Amino acid sequence: MKLPTGVLGWLKFVLPWLLLLILLVIPAMNPSANLIRILFITAVWTTTSLGWNLIGGMTGQVSFGFAVFFGLGAYTTALLMHVGHNPYFSFIGGAAIAVLASFLIGLPTFRLRGPYFVIATIGVTEAVRVIMNNMDFTGGASGYRIIEDKPFNQNEHYYTAIGAVTIAVAVSAIIANSKFGLALRAIKQDEDTARDLGVNPYTSKLWIHAIAAALTAIAGGIYARRAAFFYPGDVFAFQTGISILLMPVIGGIGTVWGPVLGGLIYGVVEEQISVKFPNLHLLIYGSLLIAIILLEPDGLLGLLRRLFRLFRRKRENSGSPDAEQVLWGRGGLEERKL
Amino acid sequence: MDATEFLDLLLKALLLAGVYAAMAVGMSVVYGVMKIVNLAHAGFLMLGAYFALELFQRFHIDPIIGTLLALPTFFLFGMLVHWLLVRWLPKSDTPTLASLLLMFGFWLVLQNIAYLIWGNEDQSIFTPLTLSSVQLGEISIPKVNLIVFAAAVFCMIVLQVVFNRSWFGRSMRALIQNPYAAQIVGVDDQRTARLTFGLGTAFAGFSGALLGLLYSFSPEFGRPFLLRSFVIIVLGGLDSVSGVALGAIVLALVETFSIVKLPASYQPAISFALLVLVLILLPKGLTSLFNRKWKMT
Repeated sequence: MKLPTGVLGWLKFVLPWLLLLILLVIPAMNPSANLIRILFITAVWTTTSLGWNLIGGMTGQVSFGFAVFFGLGAYTTALLMHVGHNPYFSFIGGAAIAVLASFLIGLPTFRLRGPYFVIATIGVTEAVRVIMNNMDFTGGASGYRIIEDKPFNQNEHYYTAIGAVTIAVAVSAIIANSKFGLALRAIKQDEDTARDLGVNPYTSKLWIHAIAAALTAIAGGIYARRAAFFYPGDVFAFQTGISILLMPVIGGIGTVWGPVLGGLIYGVVEEQISVKFPNLHLLIYGSLLIAIILLEPDGLLGLLRRLFRLFRRKRENSGSPDAEQVLWGRGGLEERKL
Repeated sequence: MDATEFLDLLLKALLLAGVYAAMAVGMSVVYGVMKIVNLAHAGFLMLGAYFALELFQRFHIDPIIGTLLALPTFFLFGMLVHWLLVRWLPKSDTPTLASLLLMFGFWLVLQNIAYLIWGNEDQSIFTPLTLSSVQLGEISIPKVNLIVFAAAVFCMIVLQVVFNRSWFGRSMRALIQNPYAAQIVGVDDQRTARLTFGLGTAFAGFSGALLGLLYSFSPEFGRPFLLRSFVIIVLGGLDSVSGVALGAIVLALVETFSIVKLPASYQPAISFALLVLVLILLPKGLTSLFNRKWKMT
């Protein structure tokens, strides 16, 4: 393993572990149940955000249909637990079903150039919700209930969610630093050139879509197990898909830490916003989306990077010239190309 | 299913196809010229319906005239939106991340402004025409459907003439065929894009108002029709007017006749199933339609 260089390098190396450590010891400090609940929700959302970022941010294929994977994860987990399987096995089962669903969307659309994928992702949420609303063995529109024999243990749910988000970050980081990640970024920038250089855009997109779907489904399963009750209008809602897409865009698409930042902000702020402005919160999100795309397409991380650059210009001789790149993990290749 | 029932459904499907075509053509021209998948189309559709409703309720303007008034109003509105937002997007041959997210954000904004103004209850436009119908032997056709069909077809014909006969139409076709060559021979792409976006929005508002005459609507109104517009332009090739008409007929036929076999609650899944089927079975047919872009008419 390559050791980090410079102050910024070490900072970048230490901060994630520090964050993980804090998250792990929080339950021991006897916090309010509400704090744990908010952190749990935030971790679940951040996992989906990281999943979306793999296909939407790194590969540049926008999907509005991640609610499908979230909902399939929730339902599969519930059904498997209902027939007596271990919850953790059930999460994996949910992921497997989501992977199959991702192929269903990906196989017909990734072969074609043009906007077919994004079109299909808008349709699939509607279609799946309608089908689930009419399905008998899942309770149809009135929803499904998970009954566990054990007493409710908040901390177990919390640690499961933290585990999932850790896995998601690890998967993202590994992919971002691998040859596969490089191929994905090449596809995002110029598919034809990527093809000429030996990348197969079709299979690459298919696999990264499957990985993203699996992560999202695990998050959905964890969410469902804690909520214990859910219905198609909730987990399969178009709104859910919007939230999943919003977080990485707020934080900074295409990076590993942008979606985490976006997820953290969204998880903590969403509740306040939707309570204080119940009619306005989507209006706020829509305006935010427009503002981000037109003013700072790289999201909050991009903004931070810009501030950092300003700051560095004032103190000319601080840090290495590559500091920025080391800190944010992005190559010079990718300069604001959206 | 006997012969009368069959004819009845067939006629209903064809009448529906008219307004579907008007709805999809706006999205199709915007995609053709600017390579933007206009997700805000759904928002414009919804606003069009409320536009006709407001004119009817406040100023007692007949909704049929209201739908025609929607054309110039939404044309100007679309040009404004282009000037404010869309023109800042980077140019590209394929739909970009930025354009998708921008149009999506704008759709959210439109939808939620509508929630603020009109609330979330279902509205509908009721005129003396709504309940009257024409008898054709054993088949009865609501007059509203006939008028909506006539208006939609009339506007499609006007569009076709604009496309073929005017300087603007020719620049539009030039940009669809080859944006670089078009600019070399002196097509002002920014101006044409602005007018095209206005035109697309005008057709969205117009067909939204027509749909508002047929169905009840709420601020969520546009979404199922957004998917239908997609399916139509995918069926007919992403950028041709006659293809759009063909796609609209196919979709309307499938939707109308599926009621015979499938429960109505599955209706929203049909357009998606059709989309997936077309992408699997006809990708060659689609790409060949794609490659013959120059055959606009």
